[in-house]
Amino acid sequence: MKKLLVAFLLILATLLLAAYPDKPITFIIQAAPGGASDMTSRTITSIAQEILKVPITCTNITGASGAIAMKKLQTSKPDGYTMGYVPVELSMVKALGYADFGPQDFDLLMRIMVIPAAVTVRANSQWKTIQEFIEYVKAHPGTVTVGNSGPGSIWHIAALSFEKATGTKLIHVPFDGAAPAVAALMGGHITAVTVSPTEVKSGVESGQLRILALMSDERSPLFPDVPTLKELGYDVSVAAWGGLALPKGVDPEVYKILADAFKKAYESETFQKFLSDRGMTPAYLDGEKFKEFAISQYNMFMELIPKALGK
Amino acid sequence: MQQFIQGFFQAVDPRAVIYLLLGTFSGLVIGTLPGLTATMAVAILTPLTFWLSPNQGLAMLIGVWNSAIFSGGISAILINTPGTPASIASTFDGFALTKKGMAGLALGINVVFSFIGGILGVLALIVVGFPLAKFALSFGPAEYFTLAIFGLSTMVAVSGKSILKGIIAGFLGFSISLIGLDPIFGSERFTFGKMELLNGISFVPVMIGLFGIGEVFYQIFAKRQVVSTGAQPVTQLGRVVPTFKETKSLTPVALLSALIGIIIGAIPGAGADIAGLVAWDQSKRVAKKPQEYGQGSLEGLAASTTANNACLGGALTTMMALGLPGDAVTAVLIGAFIMYGVQPGPVMFRDNASFVYTVIILMILANVAFLAVGFFVSKLLTKFLSLPQSFIWTTIIILSLIGSYAINNSAFDLLIVFISGFAGFAFRLFDVPLGPIVLALILGPMAEANMRRALILSQGNFATFFTRPISLVLVILSVISLLTSTLKKKATNGGR
Repeated sequence: MKKLLVAFLLILATLLLAAYPDKPITFIIQAAPGGASDMTSRTITSIAQEILKVPITCTNITGASGAIAMKKLQTSKPDGYTMGYVPVELSMVKALGYADFGPQDFDLLMRIMVIPAAVTVRANSQWKTIQEFIEYVKAHPGTVTVGNSGPGSIWHIAALSFEKATGTKLIHVPFDGAAPAVAALMGGHITAVTVSPTEVKSGVESGQLRILALMSDERSPLFPDVPTLKELGYDVSVAAWGGLALPKGVDPEVYKILADAFKKAYESETFQKFLSDRGMTPAYLDGEKFKEFAISQYNMFMELIPKALGK
Repeated sequence: MQQFIQGFFQAVDPRAVIYLLLGTFSGLVIGTLPGLTATMAVAILTPLTFWLSPNQGLAMLIGVWNSAIFSGGISAILINTPGTPASIASTFDGFALTKKGMAGLALGINVVFSFIGGILGVLALIVVGFPLAKFALSFGPAEYFTLAIFGLSTMVAVSGKSILKGIIAGFLGFSISLIGLDPIFGSERFTFGKMELLNGISFVPVMIGLFGIGEVFYQIFAKRQVVSTGAQPVTQLGRVVPTFKETKSLTPVALLSALIGIIIGAIPGAGADIAGLVAWDQSKRVAKKPQEYGQGSLEGLAASTTANNACLGGALTTMMALGLPGDAVTAVLIGAFIMYGVQPGPVMFRDNASFVYTVIILMILANVAFLAVGFFVSKLLTKFLSLPQSFIWTTIIILSLIGSYAINNSAFDLLIVFISGFAGFAFRLFDVPLGPIVLALILGPMAEANMRRALILSQGNFATFFTRPISLVLVILSVISLLTSTLKKKATNGGR
């Protein structure tokens, strides 16, 4: 009788495991509805739920550069029924002093995309190339105003890294998000911005703005004519990125089911079109490589941010 | 012309119209519920619309947006709780009218003038789209700062009887707005090491607590005290549809408010909440009976309801002509447009002209849609007031809590609702006005960040606020506004 019971339980256990997922999955988004993180999350989960055959419910939890949401994700039960979106801030919040965790405290599932910083000026300005711009800034230290999306934001780090790599001195003007910074650039209130190409795409297409350079390792397929700072000999690469994560300690089989499903969703035509429409560079990395990447970013920010903000 | 015809038929496609109506109804529900904002509604519906064709998806989003801003006024009028931040100023006269037993007429005014504001906003988009957008761009940090100051000069007007109490309330609002990360240095201020406080105190829970929960607590208290003011029972609704004469006499106020709404809507980063407050104050200058403002003035209500819907056309203008968000909702709409394969910005008028016409016609249809169902729904909702008081109170508390939790899925926000609820109760008890607190909470951060930004750009030179033309004009207007409202108040209060 006992043996039978054990056998029965074993079968039940395998069935239960094999049956993953058999209830809705909660997906935590660290930003407000409508932004890039939110749209990326909602688009990929809406495809993945068709593959997994269970609904995925998205929950927006905002605040502290996403630290509140990520903390919630980190402390959730690692049963595969809670997952979330992690942006570049995953590697930044500890250095910023907002939270006490880093990428090593999660089971990372995959990286989805990167958005490099784009050094952008008005199209009617005197600078046609990035070299001209750098020379001008060198000749006029501490007079050129550069807008970013907020103190300690990735685009602020981008401008700081630009200064460091080119040996120049800028005036940093933090705005409340990237869109107001671009508006101030268009209105002639600041000289340049270092935000994502997504934010300046419309202005570039209508001939009001000009991207001088991208701060990425390779040229962007969206702007093939725009050089990178790397190819001009400045060793600097700053990009926002986004990926998916689970609380640490998820069962390897559950992990694999999720990884496969989301990879399929990522590769779907709908999602690829979404990425290119929004000006994001598709940049899939599997969990292992993503972890390596995120930790190297973490180490970089831990060194860079305290110096930059005087924290 | 061919583009126009194509765009027109995209908009009046029966399926698009059905989705427009669906959006209008969702917007009515979301807008009326305190806490659920138009931004949230549009953001959550956006991914759902990707399974529809662009004209149908767009119809739904535009429907939700227009009717949510309109219906936020319904809860402002009936239960003194703005359904969305856009309707804060509608509580001043709207709820006063309800207390006078004129809830029906107040709701009717809300329908008619939201419609008029909405249509005037769309007209602005059609007629002066590009120049308006260009004007909006000339707003730099210095102009934003002086615009915030101009908005803050309203403080005396929203102070109620005592200017001193109003100013104390205003400074309380400023103090609360200081909590969180410093906008320029990113250092933590008054966060006590709490992660939840890093982004400051969220505005919507404070608003719901002060207005909604605070009102309920006060009513419960006042009832036990046995009301001695002899106010008429709120259950008396009165008629809903305003007469032609009433509508006509409110037209000057509405026109000025629409103009204010359109301009504030077009300026990126300033939205319907600010538009409503500024219009409410400034329209007094053309009002026939300015002394009634805040005591249940039809003109005051018409001003705020016109301005917040006129704001939509202004925000859409900036979004379509520049590709920049004019307010929070258009920031989400930009994402939606891109997903539909249309990049908002000047190029869209060249490459997707028919789509531009579709948007414009859908905006007009959305206004017509809420005008059509608005009266009916308003009449239905006034029935709510005839329910037993205890039932109304419980409903308001439950809806307020759901709404506040839903914004960030944060239990911390519920705590804020309760604290501000008790504060709102205490303020009513001691006759401290709520307007200044809200005004300071909305405009304080805008003033602070932009003043410091402007000073970074001018390298510390304060002259920047007086040498730039728009900024100077706003400074002068602020001084005039402050002086006249203070003097008037002194006069009416008998020098108090």
